[in-house]
Amino acid sequence: MKSKIVWIQGVTCNGNSHSFLNYQNLDIFLKKVEFLYHPLLPSKYSLKELYEKRFDFDVLIVEGAIKKRYERGIVSLYTLIEKLSLKAKKIIAVGTCATFGGVFKSYDEKNIKGLIFDGEEKKGFFKELEEKVINIPGCPAHPEWLIYVLNMIEAKKKILLDDFLRPKEIYAYTVHSGCIRNEYFEWKVDAKSFGTKEGCLFYEQGCQAPYTHGSCNKILWNEVNSKTRVGMPCLGCTEPTFMKEEPFKTKTYMSIPANMPLGVPKRAYLTLTGVAKSFKIERLTKRLIDES
Amino acid sequence: MRVELIEKIEGEAKLEYKFKENKIDFVKIVFPHYRGIEEILRNRPVWDALAINPRVCGICGHAHLFATVRAIENLYQNAGIDVNITEKAKLIREITLFCEHIQNHLKWIYLVIVPIMKSIAKINIDQNSFLEIQKAIVNINRVLAIFSGQWPHSSYMVPGGVVCDPTNLDIMQARNFLKNALYIVEKRVFENMAFEEITVSELEKSRTDSGKIFRFLKENSLLSIGKANDRYLIFGEHSFTKRVKIIKTVSYPVKIKYVKEKSQKSGFAKNVTYKNNYYETGPLARMMLLKPNLIKQLHRVYKDGISTRIFARVLEILFLLKKVEAHLNSIELSQKSYNHIKTEIKEGFGESAVEAARGSLIHKIWIEKNRIKKYEIITPTQWNLSNGTLQNPATAQKAMIGLKNSKLAELVFRTFDVCSVCTTH
Repeated sequence: MKSKIVWIQGVTCNGNSHSFLNYQNLDIFLKKVEFLYHPLLPSKYSLKELYEKRFDFDVLIVEGAIKKRYERGIVSLYTLIEKLSLKAKKIIAVGTCATFGGVFKSYDEKNIKGLIFDGEEKKGFFKELEEKVINIPGCPAHPEWLIYVLNMIEAKKKILLDDFLRPKEIYAYTVHSGCIRNEYFEWKVDAKSFGTKEGCLFYEQGCQAPYTHGSCNKILWNEVNSKTRVGMPCLGCTEPTFMKEEPFKTKTYMSIPANMPLGVPKRAYLTLTGVAKSFKIERLTKRLIDES
Repeated sequence: MRVELIEKIEGEAKLEYKFKENKIDFVKIVFPHYRGIEEILRNRPVWDALAINPRVCGICGHAHLFATVRAIENLYQNAGIDVNITEKAKLIREITLFCEHIQNHLKWIYLVIVPIMKSIAKINIDQNSFLEIQKAIVNINRVLAIFSGQWPHSSYMVPGGVVCDPTNLDIMQARNFLKNALYIVEKRVFENMAFEEITVSELEKSRTDSGKIFRFLKENSLLSIGKANDRYLIFGEHSFTKRVKIIKTVSYPVKIKYVKEKSQKSGFAKNVTYKNNYYETGPLARMMLLKPNLIKQLHRVYKDGISTRIFARVLEILFLLKKVEAHLNSIELSQKSYNHIKTEIKEGFGESAVEAARGSLIHKIWIEKNRIKKYEIITPTQWNLSNGTLQNPATAQKAMIGLKNSKLAELVFRTFDVCSVCTTH
């Protein structure tokens, strides 16, 4: 029998819904599941029926931040989630808004939160549901991250979670892992400018990849690329601190990046930098592809 | 008054109908949500808008990014700072924008239009059609991601150009993904990809879904319902558009300064007018500028009824696929992707317009003490779905008035490809 899913939206831009439609094996996946409600795909119920009817289902997916007095169908978003969460065996918060409050939280700090978390703190509107919830932050979440979680739930397999209830198989990596600019990072060669293939974006352009949990460079976006591979700094969109001010500039302290790569003490980093910079690797100072 | 909730239009809207003598006498359009993007931007450093604004919308985030970049570049230009964008960066920006339009239009046909048609009468397009077309969408978004790193939500355009530095290998991959998409679209949506040459009789005979949609409209006497004001606007300047208003079939130049936004008592969307008049924006406006055969023929007979509006969007898919192909062939990779701009300005104003999938998108930015003092966004759905009065109805209202039932009104409403999240940014 197909797994039954209900996908509802809170305060959102629909980015996660559209990200999901990029999944390359969607036809195969949809043979295994049935959406009783989805914000874009044809589905069995209307929003009104979702609230009024009695039915059983397996997974509730919540996209978007939670705001108590936010209209959704014929009731408030809060009331709708309250009702659906009782029936759901598992709840997935898809995207950073549903997980931490996300970008829209800064419009109304007090009243916009995630399901379980309010920023970094476990003070979300539905914190009593913690046992049922798995968070897949990202702005948006990668479709394969969501499909992985749904497949694991269906197979009744245990998903190991970190402190923010994020699956470790996805978020134990940093976005930095697998970036094709890693060699420049190792030898402390910065990108002199946007629009080049060369250099690391961590030192000048604000890249947060070395301290952001996510597998963007392991499971590529649209199966072909990632922000950092193309030359755009990682915005740290899987973290509760998203979105930081000045994402295109690296904050420095005494000309050293203010945020260290994950788990690296500042002193050790300074020593390492000194050593790395003492190497003059000519290859890394040239264009990667040129005519000479 | 009868109120109906319209779902799956990138959020929801409410249509409040008034009937008179068994016909729709007036419809009020209400958008119930609000997310506060313009407030979020306030007091932020200027470049933060590049990261925040794609989050206005999950389906046209690149259009919002493009509008943001242009608004900031205009801000610099107004302060006397040189902004030089290479031809290469311009082409790349357009490729990703056009890809975003294509994937949007494909989703619109199969997730918005076909389902509402099915609820009105029998149409021979099966449930699995979307899953086949989804493969084309995946490939189009891959073309986009080759340059922008990912879709949705990238901020790869920056003032001065783009952050990517593509190689011949990237171009080759993009061409291959595009070919895959072209193949599926040709097979499923339209067998004749010569956008300028398609005629009404060819459309009527077509075995593809376009032909099925045309025959559905004809058999159910729906070809000419949904006529609006026959007035169109285009603000975005791209390789195939210019700033014009089109009244019936004649074009006139326009200026952003005559655009007025006004709050409404109910709902969160603001009304938008140009010199106090309501206009239609989007693929129909763009096709009225380009004047391909099919649109000329349809417009001659059905004016701006739903058949002209629907096939303008379908035709734009073909046109843009060819445009992306031509742009990929034109990129001169040796040119720079990005030219650094000196940005030491404390205060000023900038504005921009781009063509988003659904129509003209306008961004305005005011800065003070090097921070955003105010940011204004006017979206295409605001143009098409404003609320006028009984005497002077706005575009979609005019198109729905006089219809016999709310189901037909919903079909007309959906031909505008409503974006609720954009409208209530």
